[in-house]
Amino acid sequence: MNPPGSLAGLDPNLDEHLSTQILAPSVHSDNPQERIQARRLRIAARLEARRREALGEYLDGKKESEEDQSKSYKQKEESRLKLAKLLLCGTELVTNIQVAIDIREIHRRVEEEEIKRQRIEKLENEVKTSQDKFDEITSKWEEGKQKRIPQELWEMLNTQQLHCAGLLEDKNKLISELQQELKTKDDQYVKDLKKQSDDICLLLERMEEQVKNVMKTFREELYNIEKAFEVERQELLASNKKKWERALQAHNAKELEYLTNRMKKVEDYEKQLNRQRIWDCEEYNTIKIKLEQDVQILEQQLQQRKAIYQLNQEKLEYNLQVLKKRDEESTVIKSQQKRKINRLHDILNNLRSKYAKQIKQFQEENQSLTLDYKRLVLQFKELQKAMRHFALIDDEKFREIWLMNEEEAKDLIARAFDVDRIIHTHHLGLPWTAPDFWFLKNVGPISQQPQKSATQIVEEMLMHTEEEEAEEAASEPESYLDLPKQISEKTTKKILMLLCDESGFLIESKLLSLLLPLEQNECYLLRLDAIFSALGIESEDDLYKLVNFFLKYRAHRLSSSLQIKSCSQASMEKASMEETSMGSELELAEQTEMEGAKEESLVEGEKEEEEETPPSPWDIHPNDVLKILEAFVMGLKKPRDSRAPPRVQKNMRNNSKDSEYWQALTTVIPSSKQNLWDALYTALEKYHIVLTQRAKLLLENSSLEQRNTELQALLQQYLNSKINSELQVPPTQVLRVPTK
Amino acid sequence: MQETVTTSALLDPSHSSVSTQDKSSTGGHTSSTGPQPSKPSITPVSAKSRNPHPGANFHRMRRIIAEDPEWSLAIVPLLTELCIQHIIRNFQNNPILKQMLPEHQQKVLNHLSPDLPLAVTANLIDNENYWLRCCMQRWPVCHVAHHGGSWKRMFFERHLENLLKHFIPGTTDPAVILDLLPLCRNYVRRVHVDQFLPPVQIPAQLRPGDQSDSGSEGEMEEPTVDHYQLGDLVAGLSHLEELDLVYDVKDCGMNFEWNLFLFTYRDCHSLAAAIKACHTLKIFKLTRSKVDDDKARIIIRSLLDHPVLEELDLSHNLIGDRGARGAAKLLNHSRLRVLNLANNQVRAPGAQSLAHALAHNTNLISLNLRLNCIEDEGGQALAHALQTNKCLTTLHLGGNELSEPTATLLSQVLAINTTLTSINLSCNHIGLDGGKQLLEGMSDNKTLLEFDLRLSDVAQESEYLIGQALYANREAARQRALNPSHFMSTITANGPENSVG
Repeated sequence: MNPPGSLAGLDPNLDEHLSTQILAPSVHSDNPQERIQARRLRIAARLEARRREALGEYLDGKKESEEDQSKSYKQKEESRLKLAKLLLCGTELVTNIQVAIDIREIHRRVEEEEIKRQRIEKLENEVKTSQDKFDEITSKWEEGKQKRIPQELWEMLNTQQLHCAGLLEDKNKLISELQQELKTKDDQYVKDLKKQSDDICLLLERMEEQVKNVMKTFREELYNIEKAFEVERQELLASNKKKWERALQAHNAKELEYLTNRMKKVEDYEKQLNRQRIWDCEEYNTIKIKLEQDVQILEQQLQQRKAIYQLNQEKLEYNLQVLKKRDEESTVIKSQQKRKINRLHDILNNLRSKYAKQIKQFQEENQSLTLDYKRLVLQFKELQKAMRHFALIDDEKFREIWLMNEEEAKDLIARAFDVDRIIHTHHLGLPWTAPDFWFLKNVGPISQQPQKSATQIVEEMLMHTEEEEAEEAASEPESYLDLPKQISEKTTKKILMLLCDESGFLIESKLLSLLLPLEQNECYLLRLDAIFSALGIESEDDLYKLVNFFLKYRAHRLSSSLQIKSCSQASMEKASMEETSMGSELELAEQTEMEGAKEESLVEGEKEEEEETPPSPWDIHPNDVLKILEAFVMGLKKPRDSRAPPRVQKNMRNNSKDSEYWQALTTVIPSSKQNLWDALYTALEKYHIVLTQRAKLLLENSSLEQRNTELQALLQQYLNSKINSELQVPPTQVLRVPTK
Repeated sequence: MQETVTTSALLDPSHSSVSTQDKSSTGGHTSSTGPQPSKPSITPVSAKSRNPHPGANFHRMRRIIAEDPEWSLAIVPLLTELCIQHIIRNFQNNPILKQMLPEHQQKVLNHLSPDLPLAVTANLIDNENYWLRCCMQRWPVCHVAHHGGSWKRMFFERHLENLLKHFIPGTTDPAVILDLLPLCRNYVRRVHVDQFLPPVQIPAQLRPGDQSDSGSEGEMEEPTVDHYQLGDLVAGLSHLEELDLVYDVKDCGMNFEWNLFLFTYRDCHSLAAAIKACHTLKIFKLTRSKVDDDKARIIIRSLLDHPVLEELDLSHNLIGDRGARGAAKLLNHSRLRVLNLANNQVRAPGAQSLAHALAHNTNLISLNLRLNCIEDEGGQALAHALQTNKCLTTLHLGGNELSEPTATLLSQVLAINTTLTSINLSCNHIGLDGGKQLLEGMSDNKTLLEFDLRLSDVAQESEYLIGQALYANREAARQRALNPSHFMSTITANGPENSVG
């Protein structure tokens, strides 16, 4: 058919071919992405290999394979590029013709346009000029019509003809020119046609050539690629074969080695087997013998065992029976125990409830008891109070009773004495002397000396001194107090005065102001009272202790500082006293008594020489008083603490002497005198009896007389009564009768 | 069994005639299709035809068989074979195909003659192999790919094309084509006619006359020079997708006359009406047919708001600015994807109107304005339009008198646009500076694959560098195509596009 058609027909085939050809390599390399991945990996691996190579390791096999792989890929890439270039160049070459024709056409068109324009211009010019000419001619025709002269007309016609001919000629010329142009155009057209056919031929040629080229190159490239693949495959095959052979050789060698090893081992094992067999035979024999022996022994043992077994069986049967019985028993016991347990449980529960109840009860009891206790405590306290009260009252009563009894006794004694005296004087006619007993002077209960308070003592003392002063020591202070420890009153007083003066700070200022208007003695008394209360001196003992303390202190000083002419006895005694300062109270009292006596004498002695030597109490410097007091207070505190418990005993009276006392009272009249009295009594008794008999008789006489009178009166009364008259038979008559 | 009996019974009366016919047909058959029919099937037929007396024949056969040492049961044709033979022979009168088993169908189809009338075969036979034989018999060169890979479609399309090509209005009976219509309506998708013959009487009159006169006198009789009216045909073809027409006369030789090549207004109107009525048409090509502005507008008006039209090719015509304006209007009133106005007379105003339409178009993929004369004004307008267009991939502006200003604008477009893959600026006066600017634009572009600057006064250096950039882009595109999918169409597709364009 026509060339473009065939070309168009050919092209697609070619295209298909090309496309398949080009597609083929990419398709062959199964997954392009994989391929890219592989390429990347290969690059990485190559870098790694290079690095390793630098390090000294050489991995030839790996690298070779990589290169092989890359060879085919390179080939493919190369061919692809080459083919693409070829196609591009080929199409360019083919289309170049089209482009060239295009540009030629454009040029032609431009030229054509230019020529056309020129032609049109020319034609227009021509039209214009010819129109002018034509106009001229037509105008001339008008002109010609006016012409009458034939020659002129002819002439004009000629010119007209000429003009027309010129016009025609112009036109013809133009036409011929145009025809010429047309002809040239025709020629050119023919030329163009020819050229175009040439071009088409060229195009066809080029296309064919291109097709051929492309086919050829594609074939070549395909061949190259195939060759590359083939080479690669061959190399791969060779390497694999080598590897395979190497592996096979190694395998064979190993196989051989194994075989030899095996042979050796087989031999070894055979030897061992033989040895083993022999050894086993021997062993077998020995073992057989041994086992036979064993069998015999075992048979024997079996027999024994059998016997034992039988025995055991019997025993066991017996045991079984026993056990069965026991089991029964135990079941019975068990049930019993169960019952017991139940019972005990019940009991336990009961006990528990009881226990709980009791707990409650006891708690209640406890509460009540505590309450009771409290009440009792209160009661006890009250009781104590009452007891104290009663004790006091009892004391009082006791004292009163004592006094009463004593009085009574004394009355009795006095009466007895009176009676005795009367008896002595009246009945016996003897002179009577009143017996003198110590107990007769006693008033009140024995040894019931009240603990006088210090102040009282002081008061007494002061009073005493006053009296003494008044009496001017008329009577020696012979135990004006019934105290066993007598210190000279004066010293005491002096000491107290000193104390009073020096320790004024112990007295409250208020008191001082109150004391001012008082008498000196009272003032002293109150002051001392205040001081004693401050120092804690309560009792008489304390006071004496204080005084003693002062004296000791002074004595100590005297002995140390002043070598007085005073007798060494005193000093010795003082020293001894100092040594036994912590002796018993009694001792101390005795000593002080003795000392007091000595001091008295000493004072008496000193009194005479008042001016010469200053009295010893004054020897105590007022400044020392405070020190002494301090020491005393310190010393006083200790015994004071330990004195509290025995205080209760203090109330317990010592009644040992009471019986003695009362006994003594009973024996005021001695037995001799009693005997006398008994004798007297009997005598008097006898006398009395006589007298009483006489009196009795007298009394009988008088009573009889009296009765007589009374009976007479009664009789009179009866007789005088009215009833007697009313009665039919008056008693009087009856009476008279009998009486009469 | 019954069938075979009846056929054999039927066979007897018309024995001789059938046999003769068979003989001739088989003779033709053998000549055309070669050694396909088996020998044993022929021998009995020839034996039968030779001997008018069945009795003698029977005796002789019997004798021969008895004495034939090579005789065997294998030589005896099977009954099914015989029946198939018979069916083949009588297919024209009694076409039996669908009732048979598939293997027998195959056998029958393999032995059918391609000369059977289309009325029998057209709607009955779908076998490609049969139509292949038909095509191969009629045409030496066949490209099935051009006809969607279907031999049957190819056969009918080419048959129709042949008929249309040689249809002479007035003399040829229109029934010739209209009769074919019901047979081929389901198979023809593409009508490609590159010649329409004018009515015959005028050439007959003119033939004796001088060639020089023909030019002047042909014009006088123009109204009568109408070609075949496609309306009925197009309306009849229900699957028509492509219409490729060239109002031209081929091989006129020395009978050349201007009026042979006329595309009259009546032709134009009837064609317009035909394509407007055809709602399946996708591709419409009307080339080398002297379509001027008015005719182009008539056709384009009929194509406005066409539902499926995708490609319009009006290349090698005489369309000017008004036609271009019509085409521009069509761009935004259809789904047109390819527009080809190559080798027309579009100038700057036409190009501007096209550019205006293109600026916001989202359908058009390819625009071809080769060998027009849009000049710089049109080129600049198009470049401006491309700055906003996001669809166009191929642009051909070869031979348009473009120069440097267009190149500068295009270089800006290249930097921005990412959809264009192919630009052709060959045969322009771009100049050295324009080439440099285009090179600058190319340096920012990563999508352009083709850029034709041949014969456009560009310095070789910049052309070479642009070529390098294009190569890089192509490689990148190839990688892109490889990575997401295993297609690699970009590079291989380049070659054919170039050659076609």
